[in-house]
Amino acid sequence: SPTGDSWGIFTFLCAALCNLPALPALNCSEELGAGQSIQQTYDLTRYLEHQLRTLAGTYLNYLGPPFNEPDFNPPRLVRAEPRVPSATVDLDLWRGLTDNARLAANYRAYSRLLCYLRLLDGQVGTAELRHRLAHFCASLQGLVLSIGGVMSSLGYPLPAGPAAPPAGPPGAPAAPNDFLKKMDDFWLLKELQTWLWRSAKDFNRLKKKVPPAVVTLRLEARGF
Amino acid sequence: KSMQTRQTDPSHTPTAPTSSAQLNTKPSQPISPPLSVSPAADPAVISPQDPTLLIGSSLVATCTLSPDFPLKAEDLYWTLNGRRLPAASYAALGPSTLSVALARLNGSRQQSGDNLVCHSRDGGILAGSCLYVGLPPEKPVNITCWSKNMKDLTCKWAPGTEGETFLHTNYTLKYKRRWYGQDNTCQEYHTAGTYSCHIPKDLALFTPYEIWVEASNRLGVAVSDVVMLDILDVVTTDPPSDVHVSRVGDLEDQLSVRWSSPPALKDFLFQAKYQIQYRVEDSSEWKVVDDVGNQTSCRLAGLRPGTVYFVQVRCNPFSIYGSKKAGIWSDWSNPTAASTPRSERVAGGCDPKGGEQNTTLRRELKQFFGWVKKHAYGCSNLGIKLYDQWRVWLQKSHKTRNQVGKEP
Repeated sequence: SPTGDSWGIFTFLCAALCNLPALPALNCSEELGAGQSIQQTYDLTRYLEHQLRTLAGTYLNYLGPPFNEPDFNPPRLVRAEPRVPSATVDLDLWRGLTDNARLAANYRAYSRLLCYLRLLDGQVGTAELRHRLAHFCASLQGLVLSIGGVMSSLGYPLPAGPAAPPAGPPGAPAAPNDFLKKMDDFWLLKELQTWLWRSAKDFNRLKKKVPPAVVTLRLEARGF
Repeated sequence: KSMQTRQTDPSHTPTAPTSSAQLNTKPSQPISPPLSVSPAADPAVISPQDPTLLIGSSLVATCTLSPDFPLKAEDLYWTLNGRRLPAASYAALGPSTLSVALARLNGSRQQSGDNLVCHSRDGGILAGSCLYVGLPPEKPVNITCWSKNMKDLTCKWAPGTEGETFLHTNYTLKYKRRWYGQDNTCQEYHTAGTYSCHIPKDLALFTPYEIWVEASNRLGVAVSDVVMLDILDVVTTDPPSDVHVSRVGDLEDQLSVRWSSPPALKDFLFQAKYQIQYRVEDSSEWKVVDDVGNQTSCRLAGLRPGTVYFVQVRCNPFSIYGSKKAGIWSDWSNPTAASTPRSERVAGGCDPKGGEQNTTLRRELKQFFGWVKKHAYGCSNLGIKLYDQWRVWLQKSHKTRNQVGKEP
């Protein structure tokens, strides 16, 4: 039937679109240029930082003391494969990053962090906790897409590998016992916090390098 | 100090080795707070690791240091949920093993488990174990189910009495057709509250189903009593849509209510009967009209003139496939408001003859200003006095305007 065909075509298009890597071109601010996207991405990192504070508070309370104590700083057991990408980097190295490398590091980090966050035990905890976690993951997904958008508008290719990694690597890096898993969860939240601090600095730096053409466009829009 | 990087003996390393050399070449100037790193091998092992215990039981736990660790048993101490445990409960079982005795444990402080930690003297964490202390689950009770428009089934239940087991409890709703087939498991939980599940399809009519709920936690399983029902016995529908309430001409004491039957009615062999409830705006007492029958309109009489009423309608499918039984009442429709007319003879109409005459309006404004004062902390200028002053001004200007003879 004719309606059957159009539904079939529609479904196929949806499937095709969903299988493409993160679609940055859907960001209509592309016309306003990279400057606008960078600002938006910066704003998003600040918003996420704010959201994280509440999420981390709730989750750490769920883990119980000493994890929720303000001065808690346990040793970090280094494992075979660094579970979470570290935001810590040499200062000179950080300064010398090209725009592409800077953005790619952010993109890769948040993609991995999102994947691990999704593994945080969604089965247990209160409904409130599951809710907050789901909301945060959605916002974090938005950040990944936003960074992808900035990269595309500046003409950089997205880093290789799945944009939204599947349900994490099974087995190997999984914590051998429940206490170590709690430590992993603690460090995941800490690393997320550190990355958001770092990204604010990254995007601030990128903001200053906005091409002049885009600046003119913004002035015109304000009627100067 | 226990947190310095150390050379590790590969034979004692449970995980793949990350050599110290790699750690030492880590960059020296991070732009974020530095992390303290410890050797790849676990410095100590606690036994039992992550045990599950009944409330009131006792436990002896041991912390055994890894052989290449420079500490001894007397350098260690224990904490439970961040609180240091008394040294009187410790015992050294060897040069590198310290035990602690915990008696009559209370239910876990958090469902993720109590944190029992073995520390070195300077406070460093050497190992930890999560204690799950609680009770086995109680039988779930009060299973009630309903089917929306004979298409699906939603059930809800309550956890057994007492409630608090201190352990995370998983609930599984199961169902099967009475004389055949295997058990099926419901998949969509929390659709109508925490303890609920929704079965969206593949349900047979005219056949009894057995339904029950299994509660399980680390200490055991409890199964509810089995509830037997036929989908057709628990049918409900969406509330009526497009509820309109309007005046009946100039009649002061009547309102006319009209609505549409729920769409599912057309598809099935059942009839619908309706119920209306209404209340005056500032009262919480609903009046119910029961004998509406299967009409989709009704006239409310004996109402107060000049009053705002809220009206709701609900629907009950009955005579499903010819049976005489009624189904389950639907939810009430969203409240619709309407007001009865007020006769013109009541003093105070639209002309401002004096501030005191228009009492209803003034009273409402007083309430409004009171609310504003409470919620808009800065607006202390607003008030009923201001309104009265404005009314006075209005009267004066009205007189002046009449004298001057301005056109409207």
